[in-house]
Amino acid sequence: MDLEHAETVSLALGQEFLTWLWFASETSSGLFRTKEGEAFSVTVEQKVSVQGGEGEAKETAVCSGPMAELREARLGLRNGKKVYKAKVRVERDEISWQVLLDAANFTLQGLKTPKVEMKMEEGEDPDGRILEKIYLLEKCMDYLDVVYARFLDLRFGPKWQEETAHLRRWLEN
Amino acid sequence: MGFMSASVGLTRYRIVEEDIPSSLWHEVDDRLKRNAFRDIDASAEERSFGWVSFDNMLDPDFALCPPEKGPYLTFTLRLDTRRVPPAVMKKHFAVAVNEAMRAMRDQGKKFLTKEQKTEIREQVELRLRARTLPIPACFDVVWDTNRQTVWIASTQSKLTELFEELFTHTFGLHLEPLTPYFQALNILGAERKAALDDFEPTVFAQGGA
Repeated sequence: MDLEHAETVSLALGQEFLTWLWFASETSSGLFRTKEGEAFSVTVEQKVSVQGGEGEAKETAVCSGPMAELREARLGLRNGKKVYKAKVRVERDEISWQVLLDAANFTLQGLKTPKVEMKMEEGEDPDGRILEKIYLLEKCMDYLDVVYARFLDLRFGPKWQEETAHLRRWLEN
Repeated sequence: MGFMSASVGLTRYRIVEEDIPSSLWHEVDDRLKRNAFRDIDASAEERSFGWVSFDNMLDPDFALCPPEKGPYLTFTLRLDTRRVPPAVMKKHFAVAVNEAMRAMRDQGKKFLTKEQKTEIREQVELRLRARTLPIPACFDVVWDTNRQTVWIASTQSKLTELFEELFTHTFGLHLEPLTPYFQALNILGAERKAALDDFEPTVFAQGGA
C-alpha cells in the first residue's frame, strides 16, 4: 500500500463519511451510543462545503449561515458532489463541542470545547485546568471515533446498499 | 496555537511502534532538552525550532513546567522565523543595485552580471535579516501514553511535517497520521485491509456522479 493510494482512499472515504454523517444527523437526529452505553448526538450545522469533479474541473460550493438549511450544498450532493468539510456539533446532556471536520485528512479545525475556567484559585494545582482541557478534547475525539466506527461498520458490512437507498431518498426530499 | 485557547486546530497521530522500551519514559526530559528550542534573537538565522515547556515558551530547560501531567506528556514546539517583508527587500535591493551600478560606471563598465546581482541580493537579505526580529510561534503537543496517541495544535501541513520529523528524531518513534484511511485500518483490523484498499466510492446522486 503506497502512501499516495492511502491519500486517495482517505479523501474518498472521508467525503463519504461526512456525506453520510449529514444524512444521519438529519434522519436519525444524529443519536449515537458509546460501547459503554453513553448517549450523545452529532449534528451537521452552520457550514458545509461540497466538492465534485477532478483536476481543473473540480468544483466546490461552500454554504454557511447560523440557521441555514444549506440548500446549495444539498443541490451539490444531488449533482454528484460530496461533503468535504462540515461543521458539526457534538452534544452530551447539557454540554457541547463544535468542530469543523476535513474529509481529506480528518484534521479538526476550530475545535471548541465546553468552557474551562482559566482563573486560578489560590493553592490550586496548575495542571488541573490543563488536564480538564485535555479530557474535554479527548472526549470529543472519542465521540467522533465512535461515529466513524459506526460508519465503517455499515460501509463495509452487508447493510450498506440499504443505507445507500435511504441516503438517496433523503437527498431527493 | 495552544490547546488552552477557546478554539483549537488539531492533527492526530498514532505511534507506530508497539513495543516502546520502558527506559524511554525516564529519558523523556533529557531527549526534549537535547532537542530544545535555541534562541536566534542575537543572530541573523532565518529560523529555529525545538521543544519548550508547555506553559512557557521561554523555558527550553523544562525547569518551570515538567512535561509529565498524569498519563500525558505535554510540551510545545516553538518555531521562530525571520521574515523580511518583500516590499522592504525590494527597496533595499534597488538601493544596493543603484550603488553598485554607480561604482561600475566609475570603472567604465555598463552592466552588472547575473552573479553579481545574486550576490547583492544575498548580502541585502542577510543585512536586513539581522535587523529583523524573529516571529515566535508555539504549537502545543499532547502525548497520551496510555493509548500512545499524539496530537499537535496545528493543521498546517508544513508545520505538521516539521513536527513529525522532530518527534521521530527526538524519541526514535514514528507517527502515523490518523487520516480516514489509517483510522479505518485501525478500526477494521488488518484482516479487512484488502477491502479497504479496494475501496470504490459509492454513487449517492440518482443520475450518477
